Amino acid sequence: MSEISIGGTLIWYYYICPRQVWFMGRKITPDEDNELLDLGRVIHAQSKKAGVKELELGGSKIDLISREDGELLVYEIKKSSKFKEASKMQLLYYLLEFKRRGVEIAGELSYPEEKKREKVRLTPEDEAKLLASEKEILRIIYQETPPPYQKTPFCKKCAYLEFCVA
Amino acid sequence: MRKAIYLFSDGKLQRKGNTLYFESEGLKKYLPVEDVGEIFVFGEVEFNRKLVEFLSQNEIILHYFNHYGYYMGTFYPREHYNSGYMILKQAEHFSEQGKRIFLGRAIVKGSARNILQVLKYYAQRGKEVESNVKLVESFLNKVAEAKEPNELLGLEGNIREAYYQVFDVILQDKTFLYEKRTRRPPQNYLNTLISFGNSLLYSAVLSEIYKTHLDPRIGFLHATNFRSFTLNLDIAEIFKPIIVDRTIFSLIGRKEIKKEHFEKGLEGFALTTEGKKLFITEFEEKLKTTIKHPELKRDVSYRFLIRLELYKLEKHLLGEKPFEPFVSRW
Repeated sequence: MSEISIGGTLIWYYYICPRQVWFMGRKITPDEDNELLDLGRVIHAQSKKAGVKELELGGSKIDLISREDGELLVYEIKKSSKFKEASKMQLLYYLLEFKRRGVEIAGELSYPEEKKREKVRLTPEDEAKLLASEKEILRIIYQETPPPYQKTPFCKKCAYLEFCVA
Repeated sequence: MRKAIYLFSDGKLQRKGNTLYFESEGLKKYLPVEDVGEIFVFGEVEFNRKLVEFLSQNEIILHYFNHYGYYMGTFYPREHYNSGYMILKQAEHFSEQGKRIFLGRAIVKGSARNILQVLKYYAQRGKEVESNVKLVESFLNKVAEAKEPNELLGLEGNIREAYYQVFDVILQDKTFLYEKRTRRPPQNYLNTLISFGNSLLYSAVLSEIYKTHLDPRIGFLHATNFRSFTLNLDIAEIFKPIIVDRTIFSLIGRKEIKKEHFEKGLEGFALTTEGKKLFITEFEEKLKTTIKHPELKRDVSYRFLIRLELYKLEKHLLGEKPFEPFVSRW
């Protein structure tokens, strides 16, 4: 594992379940029979058809960038606000990726189904937190065995559930 | 849940637009590709490269059988789940004797314990199976001491023989006498059913392996030669008593399968198409049977139990949790 680029998605996983981070790091991908994954793929394909272009930045794939009131905004679109903390850290990580390339912009979290949006900006505290998370993610991935299974509210809908409890 | 499709007639299977299309004499059938998980081919079925590409894209695997119902091979699309790490771990557990024997023993133990569960059920119904139970137990006790895979395979053979010997007592049916184990092709009715059932189970397990990160070419009990699939044979051992053998007991017990469902070829016996259909219907029924899973806290089918068994094996290979085979509770 010489080239690990930590993308926003991995940050998201990290704030939800460190065990999942380990699996992703080993390319032990979840069960594709899972209906929610199917839904995700359909939504993704649809938005691509509709002309939404993804932007790749480091290990991240960014949903959408646009200009609003003369200001550049990065968007992260989520189905629900249930995992707000994780979603926010993911978006903040994109902002950090931009900053590392000399561009300081703001982001917007959007939950179209809930008609909710939230603007975020990267603070020095966030930055420190993200850097620590990056280190922690690398530490997890290099561990010989995955972090033990711990039940969280996310498990119910997780495609790894059967694997974890088997 | 995607379905298993069984093709018995001779004909042509092809891609038509974005669907599968099977055409044979007097039969035209469209099979929506999203609904198909795997295809079993028993008849003389023609197909071309375009079809194989289509199956590959849609991650559908195709098993083919000869006239005797004997497993011939599988079109196993380029693996879609790939984890170099998992393959390395699997190979490590194959090549390190101590690690390999651990898994081999677990598989044989699982198989024997499920056999004992089946026998216990018949003991409760007043069948005279006691002496064979003792025999199976005595071989099972030796499993822990087995030092190498060949020794284990020998014990496994002994256990199975002690178990098959008692089929006559269980079945009480003169048409279906066991005599001795014969295969490729089998030499009597009961052996024909055993062989056919095992073939079906090997394929079903292979289909489940396809949905995991395991490599079907690396088995632990059965020898690997990197040309054929062996991991499915290993995992099938655990489930044969509770899936295949119970299918046979049900079909014979209810007198559904009869002499007429067999034909004698030059070399041995085979099920007729009607017989194969009867068997597969009951076999599918068994795979769909559900039990309550204590950890998942929901009903899971036997087919899914096979997948969970593979997950357990993956967790063992990753060093997370030692592999413990599934043992039926009834």
